[in-house]
Amino acid sequence: MRIARSIYALLVITLLIQGCAFSRGTLGDDIKSDTVAALQKGITTKDEVLRLLGAPDRLLPLNGRDVFQYYRYDAKAGSLLLIILNFSRLSVKSDDLFVILNRDGIVEDVIASKRTDALAFRFWPFGE
Amino acid sequence: MTQVIRRIAPIVLGVLICLSSLGCNVIRVSLNTSLAPEDVAFIVPGKTTLSEVVANLGAPDSIVDSDSGVVATYRFLDLKYSRINFGWLAKPWTPVDPDLIFSRTGLGVDAFEVLCDGQWVVRQKEFLRHLIRPPFYPYPFQRSGRSAPDELLLGTGPGRPAIMASHESRNDRSRSVADE
Repeated sequence: MRIARSIYALLVITLLIQGCAFSRGTLGDDIKSDTVAALQKGITTKDEVLRLLGAPDRLLPLNGRDVFQYYRYDAKAGSLLLIILNFSRLSVKSDDLFVILNRDGIVEDVIASKRTDALAFRFWPFGE
Repeated sequence: MTQVIRRIAPIVLGVLICLSSLGCNVIRVSLNTSLAPEDVAFIVPGKTTLSEVVANLGAPDSIVDSDSGVVATYRFLDLKYSRINFGWLAKPWTPVDPDLIFSRTGLGVDAFEVLCDGQWVVRQKEFLRHLIRPPFYPYPFQRSGRSAPDELLLGTGPGRPAIMASHESRNDRSRSVADE
């Protein structure tokens, strides 16, 4: 009886996940929180930033300062393919890190946010 | 007769619902979290700093230099696409694979820009354009006025699209609320 129930449950689960598709794409390296935490304002130098994070994805001149921009994009797509009725949803979020260096090459400010942690696979395209 | 209709009605209704969803695709693409005027109402030009903006909204997508300061930009996108292939209705009865497709894409792209001075204090804030959330509506022959309220398209002043005026007034309202 127990085995029969397990088989039925497996059958139901197998039927329910039929026609589902999961896709994922990423661009750039993961920006680790502990690496960002290691950047100290007024102390960390440009060389140390480069050693910790590598070359920036973008170098911006800003108000007489240099800004190193690092980014990472993460995309998750979920599709429910019911042959005659298909639902798909693609969500893309980015992690961004800006390291602002003063004229002496010392870190003046660090602006960072990690949005990809909250990124989930979603199928339902309606609502928020 | 009434009993027959009562029995048939649910079947007809079921068939109609199934037929209406034949060959239907609904797709949505979102980039970052969409920002609404109420999300940025806390920003008070002349008082709020970029650090406070970042603390509330996260890091911007880009920071660029300008003559009058620094511009931080938050970009977001909410694309909605829907498609119905009415050719599916004829598939069981025809040897060919017919297509009669209605589809529509609403590309809701917007950006929020914050202009800061040399001391990182916000001087101005504005949305790049008014994001009108596009509905899932595959009929392509409808005027875009369906998704854009008329008052935004008609204009309210000489040489000034209402879409801008509406946005400014909304931001003014946000500012006054923040000031209070």
